[in-house]
Amino acid sequence: MNSLQRFLTISSTDPDDTRRRRILNILVASVAALSLLAMIISLGSVYLKAMRWENVSLIVIGSLLTILGMLLVYSINTLFSGRIAAIIFLIFLTIVFSLSDTPAQVSGGRSLFGFSIPIIMASILLVPWSSFVFSAISGIIVSVIALSIHSIPNSPAIIGFFVIALVSWLSSRSLEHALKELRNINANLDQVVVERTKALAESLERERIEAGRSQAILNSIADGVVVFDTEWNAILANPALRSMLELPIDQIVNKNFRDLIEQPQLSPNSRHLLYAMMEHDTQPPSFRIEWENKTLSISAAQVYDHSKEKFTNLGTVTVFRDFTREAEVEKLKSTFVAIVSHELRTPLNAILGYAEMFKEAVYGPMNAKQVNMAERIMKNTQRLLGLINDLLDQAQMEAGKLTIKMAPVRPSELLDNLHSVMDQSAQDKKLKLTSEIDDQLPEVLNGDAARLHQILLNLVNNGIKFTEQGAIHVRLFCPFENKWAIQVSDTGTGIPESELPYIFETFRQVEGTTTRVHGGFGLGLSIVKQLVNLMNGEVNVRSKMGAGSVFTVTLPLVIPEQNIEKWRIG
Amino acid sequence: MSDVALIIEDDEDLASIFAEALRGVGFEVEIVADGQAAQEKLKSSAAPFLILLDMHLPHVSGADLLTNIIKKDSRFEKTIVIITTADARMGEAYNEEVDFVMIKPISFVQLRDLTSRLKPKS
Repeated sequence: MNSLQRFLTISSTDPDDTRRRRILNILVASVAALSLLAMIISLGSVYLKAMRWENVSLIVIGSLLTILGMLLVYSINTLFSGRIAAIIFLIFLTIVFSLSDTPAQVSGGRSLFGFSIPIIMASILLVPWSSFVFSAISGIIVSVIALSIHSIPNSPAIIGFFVIALVSWLSSRSLEHALKELRNINANLDQVVVERTKALAESLERERIEAGRSQAILNSIADGVVVFDTEWNAILANPALRSMLELPIDQIVNKNFRDLIEQPQLSPNSRHLLYAMMEHDTQPPSFRIEWENKTLSISAAQVYDHSKEKFTNLGTVTVFRDFTREAEVEKLKSTFVAIVSHELRTPLNAILGYAEMFKEAVYGPMNAKQVNMAERIMKNTQRLLGLINDLLDQAQMEAGKLTIKMAPVRPSELLDNLHSVMDQSAQDKKLKLTSEIDDQLPEVLNGDAARLHQILLNLVNNGIKFTEQGAIHVRLFCPFENKWAIQVSDTGTGIPESELPYIFETFRQVEGTTTRVHGGFGLGLSIVKQLVNLMNGEVNVRSKMGAGSVFTVTLPLVIPEQNIEKWRIG
Repeated sequence: MSDVALIIEDDEDLASIFAEALRGVGFEVEIVADGQAAQEKLKSSAAPFLILLDMHLPHVSGADLLTNIIKKDSRFEKTIVIITTADARMGEAYNEEVDFVMIKPISFVQLRDLTSRLKPKS
């Protein structure tokens, strides 16, 4: 079958041409086969003495010539041109039919139908309109034959040829159109397939590059990364983690996190922290663990698939960072702070004590000047102690060591303590220190008394420092629901608008020169700001040059549980 | 009840100031400057009326002296214990276990006034 297909098919760039040449080949083969059959039958009947050679000689010779003609047409069709071959074939057929019967029958009788065959075939084998050419040729031949036997050309037959041509033309044309459309559709389909395939290949390539890049990033970062699925099975770990934990990859990947947590290198405390991380969906942003002699900082983030409407938890990405050096530095720093705290304060305490002893005349009476001198020693020592405390607080805050301890606090006690410490300083500058508590403020609220005292002290100290005459007023009140506020206003020099954004910065005082006039490190307000931040509050300042400043610290209002009822009734 | 006040303080100057304050009130003052020595002193001598204990001591820390000896030995049941520390947090931590916590810097007047209130009128 395949060899037959190959025998019939001619490859050409024009699909219509291919189709026509293929049909021509089929027809040529059929005609040749028929001729061969006719020749075999004729020769057979002569051999069987059913017919005489004289009767069949014409058929045999005609068939032989036909077969040769078909071979020629086939050769031209296959090797040269389908169109020329088709023309030769059709003309051959027309001639065959012209000679196939008596002139009378051909021009007006039973053989007239034979001409319709090349007319119809022309529309299929050549262009559709060629039917008309062959109907004309057939008409001419029929007329010529009719005239040659002195008969009138058969005009209905000639018109019939044209009608057949018209029908053939119409059907062939519509067939060709249909085929053309089909080809177009197929071509478009091919185009779409090609485009889609290309797009898919490109996206696969992009994905491969992306994945390669992500892998390269993961492999080259210094942080250890491990990805867990929702069941806390490690599905991915990078080389940094392996070297950080000094474990082979097969002890990390494809293992449950619990296996890692149970490793003996981990300190019991850290094990507890990691289990807590696994069990709670909400983790602290980062925490530290001890792994052998290393300190590792761990941060974990859950991975969600945002593409679907519902967020799906895909697992957890955990990043390990080697914090050993930083931890050592921090430890050194905190040791340093502790040493400085002790070593600086102890001698100052001694100076203060001796000065007090002078003032108290422990070793005998002192004159007024001596007492005054002792007081000055005491005052300066207190100042120095205050500065050291500020520096230590700052150092502790930077190290993240300063914590807020909440306990029930009485606002009235805060003010009492403030007055006991600051009244003298205000009086020394002939300033008034006044205070008030709004009625709405609960009698007891939750807070860190020592730190609140420090905030008040620093704000009032700041007020006194920058006020030459007038008063410092402290007000405790509820600005809005669930908040309470400390407001310290003064009648001092005020702060230039350009400096307002910077006054809470460390070691900052308005204008470089004021540092010398007013003394101090400029740490007071910075410490206030940091303490307020630690308490989840905020501090604001309003100021007008020459009209004083107002500092407002707003803090979350939490009432101790045992006081809630009382406060509501009150 | 004796009127002995035991000062356990490694800084010579502070010890001398504290001693002066306590003497001023009328206590008989004994000073120990070292944790080890304090440990022996506490074990061997009679319980004093008042102990002024520095939490930061060489050899044996004030915290150890407090938890291992003073709090364990019933002889010190009636002894008034005042701890001194520069660390406010440490002071808070021991607030419940002792009679008074004094945060350094400690004022001569403050200590004198406090102990004068504590001393029994003789």
